[in-house]
Amino acid sequence: MKRMFFKGKQRRAKEPMEIDITSLLDVLVILLVFLLKSYNASDLKLDLIKNLAVPVSDARKLGNHAIIVQIDADKNIFVNQKEIGKITASGEHQNLLAELKRIKDNIRSPAEAKSKSVNLVFDKSVPYKVMKGVMHTSAIAGYTEFKFIVQGNY
Amino acid sequence: MRRKLKKPQKLNLIPILDAIFIFIFFLLMSAQFIDIYEIGSDAPITSTTNMKMDKPPLNLTIVLSGKKVVVKTGLDENVYKSFSVSDLGKLNDTLIELKKQNPTENSAILKPAHNFKYDKIVKVIDHTREIVKPDYYITALDKDNKKYPSKVLFEKIIFETQD
Repeated sequence: MKRMFFKGKQRRAKEPMEIDITSLLDVLVILLVFLLKSYNASDLKLDLIKNLAVPVSDARKLGNHAIIVQIDADKNIFVNQKEIGKITASGEHQNLLAELKRIKDNIRSPAEAKSKSVNLVFDKSVPYKVMKGVMHTSAIAGYTEFKFIVQGNY
Repeated sequence: MRRKLKKPQKLNLIPILDAIFIFIFFLLMSAQFIDIYEIGSDAPITSTTNMKMDKPPLNLTIVLSGKKVVVKTGLDENVYKSFSVSDLGKLNDTLIELKKQNPTENSAILKPAHNFKYDKIVKVIDHTREIVKPDYYITALDKDNKKYPSKVLFEKIIFETQD
């Protein structure tokens, strides 16, 4: 019966519709170039705390994974993102010392246990008195290699 | 005989698209949108040695007070030169001069005042570790005493406290 309806008017088989992906590819290539430019081979993953502005420097050495001590503009102390108190006027850092020692005691991998590095992230307004206290406390806890984290100006 | 007009063949972009997608996910995961670098400094260690030195050590000490930068040399800490904190270019020039006289020395002792701000200390470190002038190099010696152009001055920074 159907043949009778379409007699003389045979339907053409439609070609499958093709989506033009050229524009999508353009966008992805631009994104790829942007991400490749911002790629960082360093294994240091740093999440800056609030109220902390890192100073700018000409240094070009990439940071490495180690324990991170951050001091913000209000002189609050953070160890690996955990707030552990504030620097007192007397300059004592008992909380920092206790936390660093606790972390050192809980290290399981032998490579990390040998490491003496500590990443120090200070706000740019922090005075040397505070820096000195933190460095001294870190050295007492067994972290004698200080790595000052700065922002590149390139 | 009539030739049929051939349709231009389209490139199959699907595999390259797949690869780019994988790349993008990988790069998004490892992207850090703030350029972070480190400046190394070790805690000072004292030791006694019986080594005999041909030349007295440079013992380069940079004292940072409120507004002044004082460069001292020698074990007696004799004042070599002093400048204003805002004129760090002169500090860099002085350190180039000292490095030329003492090519094997690579450490500097920094003595900031208690109230000296961290960002200023970082600037002094930058001017101590490397030559700031863009196209200026000094001659350095490698392990085999071969000469090569270098921008490195006193890259080992040790912190000390003012009395």
